[in-house]
Amino acid sequence: MTALEAVSAYLPAQRVPIEDLAGRLALGERQIKVFRRFHGLGEVCREPDGTLLDLLFGAASGLTELRGQEHKVRYVIYARGMPVGVPYPMNPLHDLCGALGLGHAIAFTVTHHACASGLLAVDVAGRLLASDGEPGALALVLAGEKTFTRDAELVPETSVFGEGAAACLVSADGEHDRLLSYVSRIRGDFDGRLMADADLLARFQKEYPEALAEVILCAVEQAGLRVADLRLILPHNVNVVSWRRMCKRIGFPVERVVLDNVPLTGHNFAADPFINYRTAAERGLLRDGDAYLVAAAGLGAIFSAMVFLH
Amino acid sequence: MEQATVVPDAELRQRVVDSIAMLLPKVLKRDVPTMPEQTRLFDELGLSSASTLELLLELEEDLDIQIDVEEIDQTDLASIGSLADFVSSHALTDE
Repeated sequence: MTALEAVSAYLPAQRVPIEDLAGRLALGERQIKVFRRFHGLGEVCREPDGTLLDLLFGAASGLTELRGQEHKVRYVIYARGMPVGVPYPMNPLHDLCGALGLGHAIAFTVTHHACASGLLAVDVAGRLLASDGEPGALALVLAGEKTFTRDAELVPETSVFGEGAAACLVSADGEHDRLLSYVSRIRGDFDGRLMADADLLARFQKEYPEALAEVILCAVEQAGLRVADLRLILPHNVNVVSWRRMCKRIGFPVERVVLDNVPLTGHNFAADPFINYRTAAERGLLRDGDAYLVAAAGLGAIFSAMVFLH
Repeated sequence: MEQATVVPDAELRQRVVDSIAMLLPKVLKRDVPTMPEQTRLFDELGLSSASTLELLLELEEDLDIQIDVEEIDQTDLASIGSLADFVSSHALTDE
């Protein structure tokens, strides 16, 4: 059964207040106020002098459990929200494998589920390892991106992107944290560019809560649990107000959604759930045997949820 | 100390209704004729969830109040009247 063996997060030290981004992102004073007052956004992590390789290396090098186990890593899977990260022929993922002593591993990127690709990568990693059947084999999953264009800095009326990154080790047969269920829905009718299509943006905002709630409730049911059985929800960090409303809709206390990082990091593409996992672990919020749910949505659109047993 | 105060205050509610009417053209960036309280914010007026938040922000500034939004629900955003009910009963006052 797919398991998360270890998770690490890397947050660049530089924190940029959202007010400093207003000019470049064409955000008015009122929009910034709405972001702060209702969305709970405040700062984002940025590393303007750092490369994508620096970001991924920061996440992977924090994964102390990887050390001494490099030879067991069969796959390195990079979960991206944006399809393109660097110009050809640069390949920071292969450079990273070289730097980490993982040149023997099969390395590839999944981007098909946008910001929900982190969950997809964990699922793909577990299923590949299970089909290989090699005892003790591992996969390294990476997430985190540079905010190099306006589309990679802003979800209109919703969130601001940051450059946080994460890495996790996945096994097919580990004891902790075991994956109990994974539900993902592709909604191709939301394909398009929200920034350029006001009708699409309005329709997405209207239908988003029901679509995300549906995968959350379905993942809980497939895990054989009830919502009340969840110790925590590890969310994507788009904003606070949408999670408050989601909690009302599904009947879960918002205090048990790890929203600590929304004001500190903003939305870090596919890395949010793993960054929030580290926060939950550091705050001692998860005990052995606790069930928790990870949820994410990707533009385009994808709605995904996983339930794990800690 | 700042605390949430339930204000079943007809006078405040009327001020909220009047303020919504005044602010809608600004938030929607178009002329809006006077609407009855049962007018639906999303389907009839074309507000989005984001523009509803902007409207709340404008109401706070116009009425010099702070609104406790933690409890706000989709049903509170159904119509001009339901929004006025919510705002007038979730105004934070300095006491």
